Amino acid sequence: MRRTNCSRSGTNKFTRRDLLTRAAAAGAGVAVSGAVSRIVGSSTSAQAAPRRGGTLTLVLSSDPPSLDPQKTPAGDLSHFLLYNMLVSADRNTDTFIPEMADSWTIDEGGKVITFKLHPGVKFHDGTPFTSHAVQATIERLVNPAMAAPGASWIGPIDHVETPDDLTARLVFKQPYAPIFSSLRIIFLAMLSPDAIAKLGPNYGQNPVGAGPFKFRQWIPGDRIVLDRYADYAWAPKFYKNRGAVYVDGAVVRIIPDESTQVVAFERGDLDILWQAPASSAGRLIQSGKYQVFKTPTAGGYYLGLNVTKPIFSDVRVRQAIGWATNRDEVVDYALEKLAVPMDSPIAPTIWGYAKGLKNAYHYDPDRARRLLAEAGWKPGASGALEKDGRPLAFRVWTFALDTNVRIGIVLQTQLKQVGIRMDIDQLDAATLLARTPSGQQDAILISYGWPDADILYYFFHSSRMATTNRVHFSNPDVDRLLEEGRVTVDPTKRLQVYRQLQETLLQQAPWIPLASAYTITLAHPWVRDLYVDKYANLLTNDVYIQK
Amino acid sequence: MQRYVVQRLWHLVPVLLSVSVLVFLMVHLVPGDPVQVMLQEYGSPAQEAALRHSLGLDRPLAVQYGTFLWRLLHGDLGRSIHSGRPVIAEIALRLPYTLWLTAASMAVAIALGLVLGMVAALWHRRILDYAAMIAALAGISLPSFWFGLVLILVFSYYLRWLPAAGADTPWSLILPAVTLGTSAASIIARLSRSSLLEVLRQEFIRTARAKGVNELQVLYRHGLRNALIPVLSIIGLQFAGLLGGAVIVESVFGWPGLGRLAVDAIFNRDMPLIQGIVLIAAAIFVAVNLCIDLLYALVDPRIRYS
Repeated sequence: MRRTNCSRSGTNKFTRRDLLTRAAAAGAGVAVSGAVSRIVGSSTSAQAAPRRGGTLTLVLSSDPPSLDPQKTPAGDLSHFLLYNMLVSADRNTDTFIPEMADSWTIDEGGKVITFKLHPGVKFHDGTPFTSHAVQATIERLVNPAMAAPGASWIGPIDHVETPDDLTARLVFKQPYAPIFSSLRIIFLAMLSPDAIAKLGPNYGQNPVGAGPFKFRQWIPGDRIVLDRYADYAWAPKFYKNRGAVYVDGAVVRIIPDESTQVVAFERGDLDILWQAPASSAGRLIQSGKYQVFKTPTAGGYYLGLNVTKPIFSDVRVRQAIGWATNRDEVVDYALEKLAVPMDSPIAPTIWGYAKGLKNAYHYDPDRARRLLAEAGWKPGASGALEKDGRPLAFRVWTFALDTNVRIGIVLQTQLKQVGIRMDIDQLDAATLLARTPSGQQDAILISYGWPDADILYYFFHSSRMATTNRVHFSNPDVDRLLEEGRVTVDPTKRLQVYRQLQETLLQQAPWIPLASAYTITLAHPWVRDLYVDKYANLLTNDVYIQK
Repeated sequence: MQRYVVQRLWHLVPVLLSVSVLVFLMVHLVPGDPVQVMLQEYGSPAQEAALRHSLGLDRPLAVQYGTFLWRLLHGDLGRSIHSGRPVIAEIALRLPYTLWLTAASMAVAIALGLVLGMVAALWHRRILDYAAMIAALAGISLPSFWFGLVLILVFSYYLRWLPAAGADTPWSLILPAVTLGTSAASIIARLSRSSLLEVLRQEFIRTARAKGVNELQVLYRHGLRNALIPVLSIIGLQFAGLLGGAVIVESVFGWPGLGRLAVDAIFNRDMPLIQGIVLIAAAIFVAVNLCIDLLYALVDPRIRYS
């Protein structure tokens, strides 16, 4: 039996590599980000003592579907301010550190994880945080009647044991290597058992967490108002201030229009512009007036080729697209240079990414042309290559979003140079989600985000064909590697599995990886001691306002 | 009069019923599944089935419509699939904002439109006429999202007189109302100009003038009141236009109205919410047009309803 420990006060034995599991975005199921690099401004440095008071004004483009973390398909900054999780990720070292749990042990080859909980933690409604809260939270998450979007991220959980008030034991049916990534996701935020019983399905309208801010009011379409939680005293150890926040509260304004958001920020109506729109980010950065937090996203854009379509059934055509794609141009022209090229289905910031993959593609249009010629495609009258009277042409479906369309146009030009015609169809999310399972699409151009390589299970495992496997790819080797990656607890072995998996996927080329974009967060100079972590979460415990 | 009002209110029933059938069919015909939107991509098939069942989406369309209608008769518009809140509560939260915005825009449209129209008619084929009509043409041609942003840039960013977004102060209403009201004002201006010109050419105006009636009285008592009838009917129609136009303006100005709720509901394929919003909007539209019809009688004593 292997036993590993982590403690709040003692040496942290759970390094990122030891655990395999990177802290997931507390904020987001979909949009998570990687390493932060502050390029301008030090929010800063607290020469003077932090000042109490003031309100932090933030912005979101739309209302969260719910403030109940188990009823939202993707978290955002409002959830992160309200809730805490069992574990956190150190903002500097990216190791797992305690948040609501003080320490943990892993037993029985990863099938049992025992958490020692931090004593004295209270939810916003006064309910003490005990092992029963952990149990109630997880049982609620996996309850089919809840239909929680994040239910699958807890993996093959069997049950939760509560030996005493401050010990919670998660028992799995089989080892689930990505579990710690999941524990940092907002879906696994701890909920008050009293509030669960009292509020039922209305939890999201009166959210009760144990985070640094508590809920006061939500005016849909306008704002979410949060108050400082005065009893808060369990901030992770990387904070200077581990008690209640310095500000009196936070207001999350809802402004859908990106240009209006930017004006409101420049006017000073907003203190922080989270996920600044790409169209204005460059100008705002160059103005030099603001603190800038640039965080590479743990995920990226890709071109997914439906391998069941006749045109893509020949692997050489798929590979040719890989060689014909110039990722640097995608970064420069479509993503305003606020991105990095991606040479693997796994973005460089996601745990499991393997450097120096021998099957990785680089821009080589001649090689693309040679492969297409080998596959029997010859120059045709239409300008595109032809075979048996059919042109080498396909339609790509993408979201009607500025960035997606711009990437599409760059790709369209590049593919045309090797004789492939690509037309772009813009769809809204609901339509794309509804139509892809039946395999109507030739190709898709979308993005994804997740902090652990296990995400590939959803995109390429044959069991996901009717849902997230939108390229309708089925390969026994890939299935086996994906399954192995899930249950291999040893980090070194798991990395090897994912290296092999990435090589196979690149060789088979159901996806053409493109680029991983940065998330830009801007703050006014009067916001002191702000930190934006690797997942673009705002770390607010040290923040104070000095106007 | 009372009988007429009751009769018109009865007409509301088939109108709303038809609207409900149309909307119901439309939201079910467009591709997209609310369950997929809610669970995103990572839900299991079993979860999807459970959610579909709990929302009643696994039942035949006719049964779903029947249930919707039965609830509607009991004053229940169901619950939003996405937020889980009652549809009526969702609408009640947002409707006042939209009504405020629409009313303020209407006030801008009427004031601006009538003034421009009157100026153009009184100074027919002179510089003021041309200037007013060019302004009207510009007002109708400028896309509201662009015009709104220009107003934000000038009054909010450079002059710093008004807030860029939100609904927390009465000042917040000014920019969206002006943006929304301007295009409606243009139509009212053009129509009131032509209507007034036509009336001013009538014999009774000449008679009034010949009798020595003061020019202001000629214009107000004899001219404008007669010219207003077609203008009133277009104001009723414009009201619907404003409800629809609010969708864009509400997004630009972060105004928490019904338009944005509708757009979000459509993107989320939140069927009960879409149905609820359309029904309420249709009812408002019919009610406003009824009020306009009743106003005719006030403006023109010759019109009597029986």
